[in-house]
Amino acid sequence: MVWYALVSGANDYWAIWSAKSWVFGLQLRIFSQVSFFALIGKLLRSDEQAHFFLVGNAVMVAAMGATFAMNMTTAERANGTLSLLLASPTRPVVVFASRGLYVTADGILNGLLGLFIAGPLFGLHLPWPRILLVVPLTLLVGISAYCFSTFLAGVIIRQREITGLVVNATIVTLMTLCGVNVPVSFYPTWLAWISRCLPITNGLEAIRDVINGGSWSAVAAHTGAELLVASLWLTLALGTFGRFMRAGQRDGSLEYAS
Amino acid sequence: MPAMEAVVVEGIRRVFTPRKREPVTALDSVSLTIPVGEVHGLLGPNGAGKTTLVKILSTVLLPTEGRALVCGHDVVTETKAVRPLIGIVFGGERGLYTRLSARQNLEYWGALYRLSGPQIKERTAMLLDRVGLTDRADQRVEEFSRGMKQRLHLARGLMGDARVLFLDEPTTGMDPLAAREFRKLVGDLQDEGRTILLTTHDMVEAETVCDRVSLIDRGRILATETPRSLGSLISRFQRIDIEDAPDALLAQLKLVAGVSSVSPQADGSIRIEVNEDGATALVLRHLVDAGITSVKTSLPSLEEVYVQMIGERGLVV
Repeated sequence: MVWYALVSGANDYWAIWSAKSWVFGLQLRIFSQVSFFALIGKLLRSDEQAHFFLVGNAVMVAAMGATFAMNMTTAERANGTLSLLLASPTRPVVVFASRGLYVTADGILNGLLGLFIAGPLFGLHLPWPRILLVVPLTLLVGISAYCFSTFLAGVIIRQREITGLVVNATIVTLMTLCGVNVPVSFYPTWLAWISRCLPITNGLEAIRDVINGGSWSAVAAHTGAELLVASLWLTLALGTFGRFMRAGQRDGSLEYAS
Repeated sequence: MPAMEAVVVEGIRRVFTPRKREPVTALDSVSLTIPVGEVHGLLGPNGAGKTTLVKILSTVLLPTEGRALVCGHDVVTETKAVRPLIGIVFGGERGLYTRLSARQNLEYWGALYRLSGPQIKERTAMLLDRVGLTDRADQRVEEFSRGMKQRLHLARGLMGDARVLFLDEPTTGMDPLAAREFRKLVGDLQDEGRTILLTTHDMVEAETVCDRVSLIDRGRILATETPRSLGSLISRFQRIDIEDAPDALLAQLKLVAGVSSVSPQADGSIRIEVNEDGATALVLRHLVDAGITSVKTSLPSLEEVYVQMIGERGLVV
């Protein structure tokens, strides 16, 4: 089921992008986004700042893909397929989670390309072979963000007209709070705690540790925290979808498309 | 032992309570039994409660009161057992992934019905062939005509090999030829032993494909009969058509007890309508006595039954 959902999602995706537009449109945009923030660091005449922004924004690109998956979930309702999904033998949350995975995979790939292409151009040292660990860690951040996004999709699925607003607000909030451009240590303790409960924060710190030669124990601790956060949001996502479906069955808000 | 009734509805009531508005009763004490292999029509105007009943039977909506079974399984407490047994097809443009091809749509729905990889390939090819879309299998659905989308909808509803199919106004917007083809497909599905609940406000459709028809209006089932028997229900509204008659005889017929109207038709014939049992015999006797033997009597069509029972309101679509 997951495989077919992934394939159908990917087919959907390649119906929008051609190879040319993906490379010269999307990838150029990603590269520009990562470079833009890195250039701010350069303007501050600080390689350290430039690299901080570059790594943060490359990982943020990976998480952004997952956040965009929120659009797909609410699109099922607009599409008229939601009630059909509910009436099928497969649990809707599994369907939604699977169908949006390709967006997450795309985001992760984009983030890694951004890091590995823009990084050396801005003088970022990518220590071999430990840099390889960045790949699974970025994957973890993407999945964690996807769990968070699926949770939000379950919350707003009844108000699909605000999906675009929520997606943008989520991206800006994550960029602000999760240590992408501003270190978490800058925030007051209570806000730092909130930040640590959001996706990206812990995983990004693990990635920074890997690149900056941090200790393995620190990498492991941050990775464990990101895993925990992902599990938390996944559990909440399951809960919100179940709640939405039950409410829809009670109040008749799961309309047929006719 | 397999259930002999594919669908059993017992005293289903469904009340919607919109915010800051009065509750609306969409279904009120609806009871219905559909045996295995029957094509059952649910005929009624918009807002009659047809789709609400289908939603309840397909586990998408909970009833406020009452109980419904599909193949012996309760649609509220045994949804896991019900869902693999049912297929839903509705009319219109939505309900498909339009950026995907017909094949990709069917394969995806096959996975949702937990078919194995080889089963998915096999059923997809078989159903595409069955609905005449093999040549367009790899074309994006957004490029399909409405009729083609509708056929794909039907194929999608059959991916899980449903024993009970809910067709919710499936021919909405189809051209007459496509609708006729679609109805033929429904007949083929019945031949395979599938049970079909078809909601429609198209009288011809109900008359053509249904074994029995339930007339529904304002959430209540008014009658459940074969299309022919429904006509008999108001056989007292029988019509007598004659080619010609002297004015004196027509005046005399207007005075016969039970004759509701005597009116000339566009083709030059005269139609006598009665509204009481036994009036037809009286009219025929008058005609024969006057030497008129070219007489045609007929039962009302399902459309006329529908109008009689539901009123002209039912024709507003």
